[in-house]
Amino acid sequence: MPLSGRRSRLAWAITAGLALLFAALLTRQAGVHAQAPGQNQLTVYSPQTSYSVPLLDVNGQPYAGLVELLEPLGSVDARIDGKKYKLHFTPPGGRPLEVQFTGGKDKGKVRGNGYKLPANFVLQNGRGYVPLSVTSEIISRLLGSDAQLHSAARRLFIGNVQARYTLELHKDNPSRLLLGFSSPVNPSIATEPGRVRLTFRREPIISSGPENVPYSDPLISGVNFSEHDGLAELDVTGTAALMANFADGGRTIIITGAPAPPPVAQEAPPPPAPANPQNPSPQPRQPAGPRFLVLIDPAHGGNDIGAAITPSLPEKDVVLALARRVQHQLANRGIAAGLLRNSDIAITLDQRATWTNAARPALYIALHAANTGQGVHVFTAMLPAANLSPQGFLPWDTAQAAFLDLSGSVAGSVAAELESRKLPNATLLAPLRPMNNIAAPAIAVEIAPPAGNVDEIASAAYQEQVAQSIAAGVAAIRAKLPEVRP
Amino acid sequence: MTRRVLLMFAVLALIALGLTFYALHLKRKVARDEQLAAEQQRALAPLTNGPPTPVTLYIASDSDGTLRRTRVNVTLPPERTERARAVLRALFGEYLQSSSPHPIGAGADVRDVYLLGDDTAVVDTNAAFGDAHPSGVLAEELTVASIVVTLNANDSKIARVKILINGQERETLAGHADLRRFYEASNIGQVVKDLQ
Repeated sequence: MPLSGRRSRLAWAITAGLALLFAALLTRQAGVHAQAPGQNQLTVYSPQTSYSVPLLDVNGQPYAGLVELLEPLGSVDARIDGKKYKLHFTPPGGRPLEVQFTGGKDKGKVRGNGYKLPANFVLQNGRGYVPLSVTSEIISRLLGSDAQLHSAARRLFIGNVQARYTLELHKDNPSRLLLGFSSPVNPSIATEPGRVRLTFRREPIISSGPENVPYSDPLISGVNFSEHDGLAELDVTGTAALMANFADGGRTIIITGAPAPPPVAQEAPPPPAPANPQNPSPQPRQPAGPRFLVLIDPAHGGNDIGAAITPSLPEKDVVLALARRVQHQLANRGIAAGLLRNSDIAITLDQRATWTNAARPALYIALHAANTGQGVHVFTAMLPAANLSPQGFLPWDTAQAAFLDLSGSVAGSVAAELESRKLPNATLLAPLRPMNNIAAPAIAVEIAPPAGNVDEIASAAYQEQVAQSIAAGVAAIRAKLPEVRP
Repeated sequence: MTRRVLLMFAVLALIALGLTFYALHLKRKVARDEQLAAEQQRALAPLTNGPPTPVTLYIASDSDGTLRRTRVNVTLPPERTERARAVLRALFGEYLQSSSPHPIGAGADVRDVYLLGDDTAVVDTNAAFGDAHPSGVLAEELTVASIVVTLNANDSKIARVKILINGQERETLAGHADLRRFYEASNIGQVVKDLQ
């Protein structure tokens, strides 16, 4: 072969090799970074709580983040060293259990025993992801309890949490279909002509019999159960407009025919009949009583990571873990608490305020974290005092001004609890959004490392102390905070 | 040409390619560092010539979350808005030093200070101030408070301050401190007392 021909072949070989190398790298990057749409999430049901875990699409295969999966079930401490991923999971009242994987490899260890994944472990943005199909087995090994994954439906059941429903058709006039549940449920209900759809997002409802039950009834045609996208649905179809009513404290939902629309010209209603204790007439539904709800707002989320506490530890993750601890500690004290976000989603500041005000909580707590300073800072809004009535219309930009006294009392109570636990703390005013827009007593808590060691900010012991202080502070001041009618 | 030589050539080509990328990366990094250093130097440079005048600065400290009053000598222009800008540049200069107790974004600078009426100052900072400021409720509050009280301490008529980033209103400084509002020096004064 002539020399020029050999050189030409050599050049082509090198070019082709390099092209293949870059193509492989680009394909791999594209595959890992292709984010699934927002609906792609796993719903996890455990005896303690229900929560959502966003799924990552890697080359067409769903992956779940280990921290997001395990954090609501206990304390989690995850570290990355190069491509090695090590996670310590401590179940409540248990001892730390170790999970080890290596990015790009399918072999790892769970509780010291070798474990082979069906596909490679993925490290992305400082987080470790495992294929969805192994989530139930990993949780089973860590918790020692059974876990069942409904993979196609994106639902994971831990322990015996599954709740079944019963169907009972009463052929009255009109017919009534009674859906019975073992515990109270609160599905979202959508109606359209000849159809009622009940959507269960938080309840671990599963089918106990055939998923499609037809009826030969003049009103109710059938019931169809389905589960998908991390939720369950009961679809009741009929021959006329249907409506759903709750009964038995939410344990029963009655589906029946919707009343015909009233005629345009209505006669005056008859005067109310005198009360007859021997034959009580149906009473109108009593309005719901006041309730005490604390709304916890873990700051940031999604693309907004907040402060970079360390290169691999964003503020959004620290505060979400702390928020779950605060919620748990409040529940231990008999106080109902909700989270504005329970997964890694982005919420704008205006949305946070709007959703909070719509929920009418008795107290709003925003949680933040920083890698500067030391200890815990408790903030109330920096607003001039204003003579506003909490019951009246409030200006959006200064809604918090009507609650400054109560907010200050809560901040003082939380600070006292921090002090009693010997945690460095300070109470300050802050120009922090969206506090000014909150129409309820409101505080913000920012945690910094306890003694200058930044890694300590994510330690379970430190966060638990802070969470206990916040919950104890709220419990101590509860009597002074007005309950709110939902 | 043997197969071994071909293989060696391919390996060398790959190494050369990698080194080229690394050299480009280093070149960009050096250029970036030089630009930042030049911007920091510019932030410290006085705006005018003349005798230095003592001005009051409120310097924030992240380690203990405090604001400390200090006096430095700065050459001040005669015009009021230019004086306010010179005072704030002196403040930023303190924060841009490597030993600063409250570092702000490298390259941060004050583009202009405008007066609305007699008592309201609008401080227009550059993009680096907002883009590279450390994120945190207290860290951002300390910066805002030090700007407001430093302006008020050196020009007592300035009672309200609004901060812009690169000529634009921004929702927050770095995710926390509200930049949509006008800050009253009297309200900040209470915060400063808490922080001292």
